[in-house]
Amino acid sequence: MKSRLVADRLRDLQSITDAALAYLPLETLLSELLTRVVDILGVDTAAILLLEDDDTTLVPRAAKGLEEEVERAVRIPVGRGFAGRIAATRRPVRILNLAEAQVVNPILREKGLCSLLGVPLLVEGNVVGVLHVGTLHERAFDDEDEELLQRAADRAALAISSRLTEQERGLANALQRSLMPRLPQLPAVALAGRYLPAAAARLGGDWFDAFALPDGRLALAIGDVVGRGFHAAAIMGQLRSGLRAYALGGVSPAVVLERLSSLLRQIEPGRTATLLYLVLDAHGGTLTLASAGHPPPLIQPTDGEPWYLDLPGSVPLGAARHTRYDDQDLEFAPGSTILLYTDGLVERRGEPLEAGLERLAATVAQGHEQLEHLGDALIDVLLPEGAGNDDAALLLARATPLADPLVARFPAEVESIPVMRRLLARWLDDAGATRADVDDLTLASAEAAANAIEHAYGLEPGVVELRARTERGDSVTLSIRDFGNWRAPRGVHRGRGLLLMEGLADVVEVVRSDEGTTIELSRQLGAEAA
Amino acid sequence: MNEQPQSDVSYRDSVGVVTLRGEVDIVQAHDLRERLVKAIRNEDLGLVVDLTDATYIDSVGVSLLFELAERLAERQLRLAVVLPEVGLVSRVLRIVNLKSVAEVHGTVNDAVAAIHD
Repeated sequence: MKSRLVADRLRDLQSITDAALAYLPLETLLSELLTRVVDILGVDTAAILLLEDDDTTLVPRAAKGLEEEVERAVRIPVGRGFAGRIAATRRPVRILNLAEAQVVNPILREKGLCSLLGVPLLVEGNVVGVLHVGTLHERAFDDEDEELLQRAADRAALAISSRLTEQERGLANALQRSLMPRLPQLPAVALAGRYLPAAAARLGGDWFDAFALPDGRLALAIGDVVGRGFHAAAIMGQLRSGLRAYALGGVSPAVVLERLSSLLRQIEPGRTATLLYLVLDAHGGTLTLASAGHPPPLIQPTDGEPWYLDLPGSVPLGAARHTRYDDQDLEFAPGSTILLYTDGLVERRGEPLEAGLERLAATVAQGHEQLEHLGDALIDVLLPEGAGNDDAALLLARATPLADPLVARFPAEVESIPVMRRLLARWLDDAGATRADVDDLTLASAEAAANAIEHAYGLEPGVVELRARTERGDSVTLSIRDFGNWRAPRGVHRGRGLLLMEGLADVVEVVRSDEGTTIELSRQLGAEAA
Repeated sequence: MNEQPQSDVSYRDSVGVVTLRGEVDIVQAHDLRERLVKAIRNEDLGLVVDLTDATYIDSVGVSLLFELAERLAERQLRLAVVLPEVGLVSRVLRIVNLKSVAEVHGTVNDAVAAIHD
């Protein structure tokens, strides 16, 4: 007798979920859907709650007759109360009289609701939320009501999941873009990075970063925040900022990790993250690293097989109170390559981790000359079908031999001076300079660069170029060039700058032209210090 | 070249002793300047700047010393600088003729004693 009526209702539901609403924004769609549910079932209230990314909390997303629920952003723990029980058991729940039931949400009582019926929103068998309706008078919801509501929920779940995916994908892309740092351009180091989001387009917590420290050394980090979704991504962003702040403070990698661990415990107790952080001194040919439970880096020396660094056991960030981490120092000669990665790169379902690690080492051993090509090859070999359930990241760094003549460009900023000094010191070392040669010539060049930075450019960003070449094997010529309009030095210390250059180099030549100013410094290497 | 700039201030017999380690340059000058100026007490006889463990000094660092000498002279206070015999810092301070504005000594004890003379 009711079958015709039910068929009508189903048609109603199908029409609103499948066709007309398909082009509406999600909020409008849900609102319309609830209006129809209220109408068709003859109830007083209807609400949709969605599961948060952490899978532990339900948050109201749309409501009819219960708008306060959305406005107040009530949070319902999964497993507790009416809606929480539906989400936890993935089964419908009927309540005849609210006065005799366990309910978490105070608004349900405030509204004077008496009877409730709720069903789970399921996508591919997973709960994504709850749809419930209520009446102010007592009503015994029957199987047909339940079936009808479940159909509405299924349609809603489908719409929600596709909209969410779309939204998440957009945000995930934006986040991913911001997560990929602009890799710094340094003369003695080549860098390449890759990030692959997980196949399901859910956000992951993998990240990497690379930046120059004030003294010209290079800071590299790769990490993995446990968990997924926007929340994990947000934590990742905070860790990233924290890392940079602590790293710029000039403390060792182990201390940076100790501080980050405390930071993570403060931001979100219970959340953990693995992290590998290292400082690379391309001039000194060394690196210092510390690991917080992260997979070991792979090192390809100038000759010989690549090898995995033997890291002592360490706990992830946030896992324990007052964690101590250890610094490890390594040789890192020009031509060496280091590969940092997250487990998403090497783990493949149904095979031991060693297989992935072996593939990784074998790919690096092929000896790609271009780091970017190696980055591509690693992705091709390790993740031929793209990332799996987990996202994946890798970061490659190689200390490059310095050319003679050397040409390097720096932003015209005071911070570039130490960077230039480090580079030049290494180049001079290679050219056979003595300690005094290195000291004097790097200082003279720093003075020339300071001149360019302070006098060649106004507030617009400029560039300083360093060229260095050996002449007949025993003397060097360094030129420091700007591309701005030189103006008269201000203040007395610039006069001392020129005095120093003349005192430290054998020959100082200043050439001014419309295109900028070049200061050329020459010196015989190995001569007795002045 | 990785040393972070460090400075200590102590006082011996009415003489301030500032020890600068690491790099005294354009990058650090601003912070160092403040610390040096604050180290000067009106009741003192003078100030000793110990550069024994300084590894690098550029023209901005040099100017800092000249400025300090000038400020001290205005208050009739004396500046003495402690330098090792060799090394970049000594070479630089010879080139700019630091001796024209400050006394140069080999040890902090000599420098403090000289200010008392």
